[in-house]
Amino acid sequence: MTAVTEPGIVPTPAGPPRPYDEMYQAAPDGTPGPVRPAHDALARALDGIGPDDLAERANLRDAYLDRQGITFTLSGRERPLPLDLVPRIITAEEWRRVESGVAQRIRALEAFLADIYGPGEVLADGIVPRRLVTSSTHFHRDAWGIAPPNGVRIHIAGIDLIRDERGEFLVLEDNLRNPSGVSYVLENRRTLAHVIPEVFGGHRVRPVDAYPERLLEALQAAAPAGIDDPTIAVLTPGVHNAAHYEHAFLARRMGVELVEGRDLFCRDDQVWLRTTNGPQPVHVIYRRIDDEFLDPVHFRPDSLLGVPGLLNAARAGRVTIANAVGNGVADDKAVYPYVPDLIAYYLDEAPILPNVTTYNLQDPDQLAHVLDRLDRMVIKPTDGSGGYGLIIGSRATEIELAAAAKRITADPRNWIAQPIVTFSTCPTAVDGGRLVPRHVDLRPFAVNDGEHIFVLPGGLTRVALPEGSLVVNSSQGGGSKDTWVLEDDALPGGRPVPAPVPRVERVSASVVARAHAPVPLDERLRQQEGQQQQQGDPAEGSSRC
Amino acid sequence: MLSRIAESFFWIGRYVERAEATARLLAEHHQLLVEDRTVNEDVACAVLLDALSMPHVDVNTGTALVRALVGGPTEPATITGSVTAARENARAIRDALSGDVFEALNATHLALTRGTAFAASPGVALYRVLDRLLVVHGVIEWTMSRDEGYLFLALGRSLERIDMTARMLCVRHDQLWPQSGPVATLRAAGALSAFLRTRNPLQGNAVRAFLVVDGTFPRSMRVAAHDAEEAVRGLERAGSTDGGDLLREVGMLRSLLEYTVDPGPAEIDGLAEHAQVAIERASDVVSSGFFRQAGTIVWSH
Repeated sequence: MTAVTEPGIVPTPAGPPRPYDEMYQAAPDGTPGPVRPAHDALARALDGIGPDDLAERANLRDAYLDRQGITFTLSGRERPLPLDLVPRIITAEEWRRVESGVAQRIRALEAFLADIYGPGEVLADGIVPRRLVTSSTHFHRDAWGIAPPNGVRIHIAGIDLIRDERGEFLVLEDNLRNPSGVSYVLENRRTLAHVIPEVFGGHRVRPVDAYPERLLEALQAAAPAGIDDPTIAVLTPGVHNAAHYEHAFLARRMGVELVEGRDLFCRDDQVWLRTTNGPQPVHVIYRRIDDEFLDPVHFRPDSLLGVPGLLNAARAGRVTIANAVGNGVADDKAVYPYVPDLIAYYLDEAPILPNVTTYNLQDPDQLAHVLDRLDRMVIKPTDGSGGYGLIIGSRATEIELAAAAKRITADPRNWIAQPIVTFSTCPTAVDGGRLVPRHVDLRPFAVNDGEHIFVLPGGLTRVALPEGSLVVNSSQGGGSKDTWVLEDDALPGGRPVPAPVPRVERVSASVVARAHAPVPLDERLRQQEGQQQQQGDPAEGSSRC
Repeated sequence: MLSRIAESFFWIGRYVERAEATARLLAEHHQLLVEDRTVNEDVACAVLLDALSMPHVDVNTGTALVRALVGGPTEPATITGSVTAARENARAIRDALSGDVFEALNATHLALTRGTAFAASPGVALYRVLDRLLVVHGVIEWTMSRDEGYLFLALGRSLERIDMTARMLCVRHDQLWPQSGPVATLRAAGALSAFLRTRNPLQGNAVRAFLVVDGTFPRSMRVAAHDAEEAVRGLERAGSTDGGDLLREVGMLRSLLEYTVDPGPAEIDGLAEHAQVAIERASDVVSSGFFRQAGTIVWSH
């Protein structure tokens, strides 16, 4: 990769660039201008509800989420994922770009993973430095040469996007190991329709409910050769994991077992479930456990969550592990800057969704460039996730910046730097029903069944709730929004018109036939009952107790 | 047992089941109306009202639909009407009921008629109603002896359950909303998790067949018919008998459902329709055989 030129963001005397507001067009003087056309109906609906009622709906929402137990676990406590009542709208046209860009990226990353865990041509051709791959903490030699049955390694991906000052979508990072959050996409939609149906008025929103089915189909398609009706299980670390709610949700909605490591054992390169009917074979494991804990034979020997022998069974082609072991190389933040090159190398295409400018700190020139401008950079650890270890230059003190400079100079392989990009904002309801702009990102989820890449219309919008904050991770106090992809009305027959509903000839069950008058309808009887004097009973009434 | 009291038990069973099934069905139907606007609201309203044998004059929005089906205390096919009727029946036989059953029904009736069940959003209100009705169900199961009164109540509940499941199948969510319809039908029957574990494909016909002939799910028509037959046999053992007419009606329906295998779409439509006729007949037979026996001298004015 060539040296990076001057970063795109140079603070001007007028202050940093204004974020793109997704609901309001910007007026020349910087104040919110008119509502963008796609948001018209939503803005009207919100006006109609008003702040007081919005605050009341927030209470209803909290009660509903509590009751449903839609939670994530943080520091050992279950909490509802904060859900904002104002949905985020993405037009059909904008979505087409996201959808094709996400699918393109996954195709390239699939090819990359197949290559580095196989022939290694991309390394031989010098597209990506060999040392970068082999030094990645997620590159597992133990997984080299394991060929997945249908060639898929990234069964589920979550590609994090942001919108820059012009409203263009950029890729912030790839999640190819255990992308989390899709259950909240489905639950957010249901919750919003439940507590604030008015906002849906006048919109045709693409449904998201098909995701569990698509996922199940992809897992079935990934079954070992010769298994027509595979047994599938979701492998969870257990109830104390942050995303346990999601693991249970997906297992339930796919109608498959939710298992923990201790429910499985391997014998003769086959994985078995311990059941009351004795051992039952299992063919596809959708695991939500990190590689390091998956198999104590190959990885951390002290893991209590994994299954000894699992990797050998996968190598023997008797079980499919989804997502594949070793995918973390492709979402290593140090590999991220090379993804546009990988798209060109494998697909011979230009990237549809560009990267955020990223500096490779192992290059002395780029390191120097970054150290000069540390206060305008975001510094990220290459193997981090969940927003841990982030340093945002503009928010750091002199002392923190000096410490960061020391750290990245000492260990440039494990850090990357990006200029601070001002994420777009969406109106968000805060205390008392006030609407204020808050920064958002977007994680579309994609499922690869080997034939098609299905990108769930919408995805998880995460919102940084504190004013001005750029950190959206739920582990750092971020919330979420229901994300609406509008139907494509521009296309003729964008959706098949439902078949006419057959009018079943109704039985002549009139209301009367379904009713029964328990209390005699004879008014005289009612009166006479009431007239009987009850001595000592001051109450008038007809109770016959 | 007095005929009058038996009759009230029977109708408490029917009305509580009707209120709950209607609330579930309405909650899911309304959710679909809101989330997926590919179907015209007036069509979606008409389909549901048709299935519930309700008139649909001037009901052409989701909000109006909820208002119509939550209804008022004097409309026995609505949620409020069903609960009120169940409560009136309970009030007339308070001595024969456990105090807890009356209290639970009364609280539900008051919440509905005083408007305290209502919240800003229809979905939330229906959830509150459902919660209360589940308490009523629970209290009935845990506080009533399995005597004749309970058996009449269980009979009414099972017959109504078959009728309501059949009506739900007539709504055809799967055709109105091809993507989200089958899931909504299952949710309306409380059957989503139960169905998914059967590993059947999540598509319209498999879902509808499950609700007709599944042998383990308590709200499938087949299981409900089996429960109804058990209640009738229990009544016979307890000495309440009509000479076998009711057992024949219920038994014929049960065996038809019992021996149906893999019904296709048209067969399911036929079964749903047949079941509604059979329930109407069975209900008449219960009435004439147990509650209003021939030969009773009626004083006429």
